[in-house]
Amino acid sequence: MHLDAFAVIALAGAVASALILIWYLVARPQLTRVTKLALLLGIGVFPLTTAGSGNYAGFEATKHREFCGSCHVMTPYLDDATDPKSTGLAAIHTRNAQFGEESCYTCHADYGMFGTIVTKMGGMRHVYLYLTEFRNKTLAEAKAEIHILLPFPSSTCRRCHTTSAPKWSEVGDHAALLKELRAGEVGCVGEGCHGPAHPWSKQP
Amino acid sequence: MNKWLRASAVLTLVALAMMVWSVLRPTPLPVMLAMSLGQAVGTAAFAIYGYIVLVDLRRIRRDARRARELDAQDRVVDVPTAEPAAAKPPEPES
Repeated sequence: MHLDAFAVIALAGAVASALILIWYLVARPQLTRVTKLALLLGIGVFPLTTAGSGNYAGFEATKHREFCGSCHVMTPYLDDATDPKSTGLAAIHTRNAQFGEESCYTCHADYGMFGTIVTKMGGMRHVYLYLTEFRNKTLAEAKAEIHILLPFPSSTCRRCHTTSAPKWSEVGDHAALLKELRAGEVGCVGEGCHGPAHPWSKQP
Repeated sequence: MNKWLRASAVLTLVALAMMVWSVLRPTPLPVMLAMSLGQAVGTAAFAIYGYIVLVDLRRIRRDARRARELDAQDRVVDVPTAEPAAAKPPEPES
């Protein structure tokens, strides 16, 4: 269980609110000015604090690798990414401290102005597909079917691997494909030169 | 009014339970429930509370207005009526 500051604030707000509401429901006090003020805190202020902090904590939790791996069909991906002996791109990047506990999100998130929203909508689609198609499938069946929706964009790789670094440009293929890479016409992984991100990755 | 406030309190507790569950166990089902159903239930509870507050405020204003009207009526009743004209002193007989 991961508890950050927002989660603690959410829990504190929930406890404070619950205490007030249980007191109101059990003691059934007269509706005096004090009772009204207590209800404003118990129904309004504290729950709103919990909702705000809890939502933020929830959004942060959805970025964690354990969250992505909590559906059984994602177990192989989680196992490979966290395998210290794996030489797959996902595992190599997961071992990078910059990716931390959010290696799935870092590579699979959409960036840009509405990146977070687009990513969350994609996540909802995953949940829908899991509930309607993959929930009762065995791991072997699911593994054979799951594939990435769109080719992995090179722009995601280029967020860290800048194409303007001299060392990057020293590689002949990089220099030759610079224009296509920057235009997003050529990918780095998958169909690109660096192979699949996961050992069993399939093309869309 | 108390019945609605109790309903609002119970709904708030239900919403809080979902949010706490999502914080303590951040897996897809609790997180999605908290962010959809939990939010809806919590908002409904707060809306009920807000409605009760509005009704209460209107009642207080109505009572205050009625009290002012009654006060004004009392003042009208208390206004002393015009005193009868003093009897003219008899004219001196010539």
